[in-house]
Amino acid sequence: MSETKELSRRNFMQAAIWGIGGLIGVGFGVPAVAYVVGPSLKSQQTQTWMRLGPTSKVELGTPTLFTFTIQTQTGWIESSEEISVYVLSTDGRTYIAMSNICTHLGCHIRWISDQNHFFCPCHNGVFDSSGNVVAGPPPRPLTRYDVKVENDQLFVLVGG
Amino acid sequence: MTTKINQWLDERTSWRKVWETIFLRKIPKVNWFYTLGSASLFVAVNQAITGILLTIYYVPTPDHAYDSVQYITTQVPLGWLIRGLHHWGASAMIILVILHMLRVILFGAYKYPREVTWFTGVILLLVVIGFGFTGYLLPWDQKAFWATTVGTRIAGTPPLIGDYLLRIIRGGSEISAVTLVRFFGTHVWVLPSVLLMLIGVHLYLVIRNGISAVPKRGK
Repeated sequence: MSETKELSRRNFMQAAIWGIGGLIGVGFGVPAVAYVVGPSLKSQQTQTWMRLGPTSKVELGTPTLFTFTIQTQTGWIESSEEISVYVLSTDGRTYIAMSNICTHLGCHIRWISDQNHFFCPCHNGVFDSSGNVVAGPPPRPLTRYDVKVENDQLFVLVGG
Repeated sequence: MTTKINQWLDERTSWRKVWETIFLRKIPKVNWFYTLGSASLFVAVNQAITGILLTIYYVPTPDHAYDSVQYITTQVPLGWLIRGLHHWGASAMIILVILHMLRVILFGAYKYPREVTWFTGVILLLVVIGFGFTGYLLPWDQKAFWATTVGTRIAGTPPLIGDYLLRIIRGGSEISAVTLVRFFGTHVWVLPSVLLMLIGVHLYLVIRNGISAVPKRGK
């Protein structure tokens, strides 16, 4: 004595319509999400060593500004972006390279030599010469790049 | 639980009555040719969904249109699918709408009391053709450019008003950035609004008058 109900033609059609409709819905929904979200999740271009310049340009104890341009591809538009890097050396043998982007909300910081600190114009973030936070809202020290020296030329690792 | 929610909603919106009127209405015994209208509606919904998705990346200016379409097709995940659905859906739309019209003609479904449904259908056909014409320019490739050159030149052939007509459609004497944006604006704002209103009236009348039975010999 099974309690299974007889599947009527009407109920079968109803279930089939909902089922097929659901499949079509998923068929549109899943590609739509992939399509909208996809490019946002794409990783940046590969890492490369960029040449900054000769080590002799770095003044001992003072962060020295180097700039270089990289080619970027955003969507279908190719453009070049100027990147600024501060390089500090205290002994002339080891170098640290710091990004000029404030770790608070992304403004550009500047080295003010009179006051011996980096200052961020947006919310008064202050960093010392090796990038540590001295005052203001920044949550982290300045981001550092990997550095290498080859034939007295400084290189930093960008991208990734 | 769901029955409770449905009950609560029905008490306030009478959605069951609406549902029954639309989906559980009585229809005469008909054949597969009577599904062509629903098929057109389905493809129209496909065009709306994929069209909205395409505008997320497409830029209607001469210096970006072609590149943004290439970007959609080759770089965006499943962009080829979305564009393909819109591209082939456009052709399917024209075919289905014409078959739908032929069915209405051949089965005599345009007669009393369904004349107004027929009139709105005729305008809908023109709107669909308008979609095809304006959408064809948007990829901004050679085919698009020359097809629109020819198409607008045809619009320029009537005596007296021809030259004005051509200039109004092109937004100047040449096909330019102005042409591209006005075709885009027409394609994504003007025609969809008209289509939506007309489909609303068309479907209301289909439901209000019921659909016609298959005509029988000697009746």
